[in-house]
Amino acid sequence: MSGEVAAPVLEVEGLDVATGSTALLSQVSFSIDAGERVGLIGESGSGKSLTALAVMGLLADGVYVRGHVRLHGGPENLLEHSARQWAAVRGEEMSMVFQEPMTALNPTMRVGAQVAEVIRLHRGVSRAEGLRRADDVLEQVGLEAAQTSRAYPHQLSGGQRQRVVVAIALACDPRLLICDEPSTALDVTVQARVLDEIVSGVASRQAALLFITHDLAVVAQVCERVLVMYGGRIVEAGPVREVFAEPRHHYTAGLLAASDLSAVEPGAALPTIEGTVPAAGQLPTGCVFRTRCPAADEACEDQPPWTARAPGSAPSEAFGYACMHPAGETDE
Amino acid sequence: MPVCTRLVRPMSEPPAIEVRGLGRTFRRARTSWHRPGSAVSAVREVDLTVAAGERFGVVGESGSGKSTLLRMICGLDQPTYGSVQVRGRAVAGQSWRALQWLRGEVGVVFQDPMGSLDPRMRVGEAIAEPLLAQRIGDRSSREDRVRELLVAVGLPPEAARRYPHQFSGGQRQRISIARALAPSPSILVADEPVSALDVSVRAQVLNLLNDVVSRRGLTLVFVSHDLLVVRQVCDRVAVMRRGELVEVGDTARVFADPQHEYTRELLASVPTLPPLR
Repeated sequence: MSGEVAAPVLEVEGLDVATGSTALLSQVSFSIDAGERVGLIGESGSGKSLTALAVMGLLADGVYVRGHVRLHGGPENLLEHSARQWAAVRGEEMSMVFQEPMTALNPTMRVGAQVAEVIRLHRGVSRAEGLRRADDVLEQVGLEAAQTSRAYPHQLSGGQRQRVVVAIALACDPRLLICDEPSTALDVTVQARVLDEIVSGVASRQAALLFITHDLAVVAQVCERVLVMYGGRIVEAGPVREVFAEPRHHYTAGLLAASDLSAVEPGAALPTIEGTVPAAGQLPTGCVFRTRCPAADEACEDQPPWTARAPGSAPSEAFGYACMHPAGETDE
Repeated sequence: MPVCTRLVRPMSEPPAIEVRGLGRTFRRARTSWHRPGSAVSAVREVDLTVAAGERFGVVGESGSGKSTLLRMICGLDQPTYGSVQVRGRAVAGQSWRALQWLRGEVGVVFQDPMGSLDPRMRVGEAIAEPLLAQRIGDRSSREDRVRELLVAVGLPPEAARRYPHQFSGGQRQRISIARALAPSPSILVADEPVSALDVSVRAQVLNLLNDVVSRRGLTLVFVSHDLLVVRQVCDRVAVMRRGELVEVGDTARVFADPQHEYTRELLASVPTLPPLR
């Protein structure tokens, strides 16, 4: 431990995203340190991808955003950046891996040239030098540069394509890598290898990782810390081990129960979360989860305060939950 | 003899599905003026028998031939060689028209409910369409049947008047299940029915499938790349790789004691939650 505390790589504070009068994200706050791997989980429609897009400055027109996004303790708020300023940050300071590699890659460009493009843009190197460095990055993610560099995306398998996307994202050694469901479209054996490449790529650069997925088992494998999102809010946060072993928010508990297929006898009914994620704008007031929560009562009509996990300690955004009747206390 | 709690039909009845020496070869697009495109064997020499009332799983990675096998069983594709019989009647080599009976016998649920439901058709019409095609019942009896099916899959009867885009992914998959059940099939075939769904919704849909299969005494053929899901749902499982079945056996046995190298590799790759509590 060094004496001075390093500023976190990414700091998100009070992030609100809305279209017109419909709130999509409310008061999302979290930070990620260098070398830290943080998972963001929740069902579709809970706001995970929107958070990533807001942090990357990729929100569509007509979507309004408020709050602060800072990179390594810098004074400027990224959300106030112009398009030109954003272009300098993206790919250099932070980059993103999307779910579907076939749509993330340019089908008319050779793979090597696509990796070289980001290097040439940010490093200003020559075409030949860009391609040479691109080959190095491709090798780093486990591809044989000699064979893949001159291939077009359609000539590669799904796993190879996703490695190319990871290579593009890591080409300029970003301090922050955001992965949005990077392995959902892949087969299990391929998924295991691509996840390894992501984790080792991030570790060797001491980069921060924000890993979005709906697969809790993948989070347990990849991440150290986890943020649980529902209805555009973070409802629980903490180290993966503790949150998964002892969920305090009923939403987390429900997700875990529904995910853990090995805990149920084959053929027996699986535990589920009743109902579905309400559409944006139809979320209840107070606790966002109360319409589906087994423990909800009148107290939940008020917004539950953020509570620290360990009783007595100061509430920390990285280590707490927002629930009036935390799971594990009411059950016993 | 293991204890069998599920419906067992008398021995005289033919197996629900019998596949013998089945193969399907596709031709790649030609790359030369002089030679035809190269051949790809998507399915080769597959033998399998699914008994009536059984829940049979097929696992494998993309490109292993799971869906091609399934399509041939459902009569949606013709094999290059080999035979397929459903309840003792030949499916392979029959004309589309001669397979009318099969459409009432086999219900199919596909992976992507948005792709398998016509976006311009009301849910009620979509569910009634198999009945219409089979000329089953009149308009009012079909409407009754649609309402009954919607309730059976956990949707309100009013859902019949709405369009697929007005439903969530899990609800759309329920609609697909209702449509597959419409002509009262004896066999339900599901191709990756929960791969596109969230975990919480996945559990709901799996419970529903389990429920309708046991309540109606159906034979289930369940294709998935997710081994844990197959273990949850199926009695027997076939592991497929490059068009061949590399291992077939009781689900519990295959998971506890995989015989084939590839099955072991698949099982080792599955991410699992750490033991909780």
